[in-house]
Amino acid sequence: MKIAKNPHTNPTSIKTRFALRFLRAINKLSNDNGTSPRPLNSADRRKRCRAIRAASYASMASAVGPNKAWSRAVLRKIRNRTKEMIKPRTRRGAARGSMNPRKELGLGQEKELRELVPGGEAMDFRRLLNETGHYIQCLRAQVQVMRKILHYSST
Amino acid sequence: MSSRRSRSRQSGVSRISDDQIADLVSKLQQLIPEIRNRRSDKVSASKVLQETCNYIRNLHREVDDLSDRLSELLESTDSDSAQAAIIRSLLM
Repeated sequence: MKIAKNPHTNPTSIKTRFALRFLRAINKLSNDNGTSPRPLNSADRRKRCRAIRAASYASMASAVGPNKAWSRAVLRKIRNRTKEMIKPRTRRGAARGSMNPRKELGLGQEKELRELVPGGEAMDFRRLLNETGHYIQCLRAQVQVMRKILHYSST
Repeated sequence: MSSRRSRSRQSGVSRISDDQIADLVSKLQQLIPEIRNRRSDKVSASKVLQETCNYIRNLHREVDDLSDRLSELLESTDSDSAQAAIIRSLLM
């Protein structure tokens, strides 16, 4: 096994970090559902599908860590959800100050992008571009690992 | 609203500075398969943003679809073989 050359066994690669967390999460989901009758009814199946999807995004955000605004936004949302949202947090002054109107395009696409990238509303334009690039790379890695899991599970 | 127009910009985009456009184009162009092969001076910032949004939405849809299939898979196999599959995918 060529450990040094294989990016997937590099312990610090984002794909490996993601896959390990995702595995943990799926494992937990399987154990939690151990007592429910099979086959699942359609409501339970949808619930499980949503749980897996949420675990996928959460695992990626956790693998990325707090160094990116988008991953922080995802982790924050998860924490708030599990805390039973009390009331929405107001944005801190720094974030508000960075919504410099001069830097906004005023085009529909920019607004759209801000809605697609986690935490995008609070970033200035330059940061939005940066975060978008990184977010896309991570999304791609996420999809690739999930595809691989499916592939190896069905052979 | 500025009425400045130039060949490299479309109206409405004239408020971004040149280096922000360069940032946009170089960064996202590399990542987006749709526009990767076009030369930078032919792609407007607005087009790059639009393609970026489309691409992100497609990736989200893929995650949805893969989650659905994984969910079905986990339902039909026991957790041990699912874990084995994941470990194999890590090692290969």
